[in-house]
Amino acid sequence: MDKKTQSKVKIIEKTFEAIKRYDKGLANTSLLRVAEELCMPYEELTSFFLTIEDIYLNEQERNNRKVEKYLESELSEVKTANDAKSLFENTIRLFVMDLPDYADVVWAATPFLPKCLEERNRMKVYLKKTFKKIIKKGWPGKIETVLERQTDLCILSFYGLYEYCSKSKKKDREAILKDFINMLNLHLQDRLFF
Amino acid sequence: MVNSSSKLKDRAVKGAINNLRKDKRVEAISLSLIANELDVSLETLKNYYSSTEDIFLKAQKKDWSSLHRYWDKRIEKAKTPGDYKDAFELFFERFVETLSEDADLMLEMSCYLPSCIKYRERNKKRVKKKFLSLIKKGWPGKDDKVLKRQTELITIVFYGFIDHVVHIKKSERLKLLRDFRNMVNLQLQDRKFF
Repeated sequence: MDKKTQSKVKIIEKTFEAIKRYDKGLANTSLLRVAEELCMPYEELTSFFLTIEDIYLNEQERNNRKVEKYLESELSEVKTANDAKSLFENTIRLFVMDLPDYADVVWAATPFLPKCLEERNRMKVYLKKTFKKIIKKGWPGKIETVLERQTDLCILSFYGLYEYCSKSKKKDREAILKDFINMLNLHLQDRLFF
Repeated sequence: MVNSSSKLKDRAVKGAINNLRKDKRVEAISLSLIANELDVSLETLKNYYSSTEDIFLKAQKKDWSSLHRYWDKRIEKAKTPGDYKDAFELFFERFVETLSEDADLMLEMSCYLPSCIKYRERNKKRVKKKFLSLIKKGWPGKDDKVLKRQTELITIVFYGFIDHVVHIKKSERLKLLRDFRNMVNLQLQDRKFF
């Protein structure tokens, strides 16, 4: 990791640590306070981020980019239904297993901060479009309306899982993930869907 | 007197929501701004609320208390597994029916403001406890471990459902609810659970 990236990571970690420590939310944390705690000149800090909101957005985009990159590279490799099923499972795993310790703080602010909300909505649309393609390949034979409705249910369930995992320890995430994937499998095996 | 204070409280909630809709910045909405817009003195408003955060917290508590009261009555009347299943399902129905036009902003505040987050987490535990009891009685024969895991999953997807349903049009909410209930039912019918 180069020096610039190291500084950036330090700022991110310190910011979320401060937000969690003071338990006062975003409004009561300032870049100035973060700079003081890091013993870093304020000017240096603002060369990376101009506002606390930028830090949230950066964190959110970082996690989303990782998943998008993975999906884009793996989707073209899918040949069989089983490949698609594995991709579906691995994507969910990738998204939630590596969430940092401050994921709960990021999760809480993303529906509220305008730029983060925009990014959240963009990602949700992207995931829905991509999950739909994967479900179509992995569980073939569904008519279009069923595919659409089942994808919606998978997406909303997925965001419920995201909330849960952002607030839990890694070992608890692992345990719930297995059950969660089994539940979605059961749901998606229902070809005609009521 | 009770009626007029109740009306003032409703107007205060509406005032806070309207400002939020315009500006999207809860930090910029003060009690004096709301008092001014409602044409009442700040002292009068302070008889009911200590801060803008308090307005959202009390509104959140009011909505959930009403929902729990309704739910508890149904649970008290239940005698057979069928009754408990009904009580379980009626909760979701009531939840969706009573969602306001501003449910999206109320949810955002409940995830963002520190006191609202605390209440949300406490309430989630309360909801989960009731889910567990209803699943145990409505779908009998599950061992304790399965019961706990399934309850956890249902709670996770229910909170994902909340996040989704508040952001869609009222007319689409009931359709989504039907699919959601079917998915949950399918999951709970699986007695041995993988």
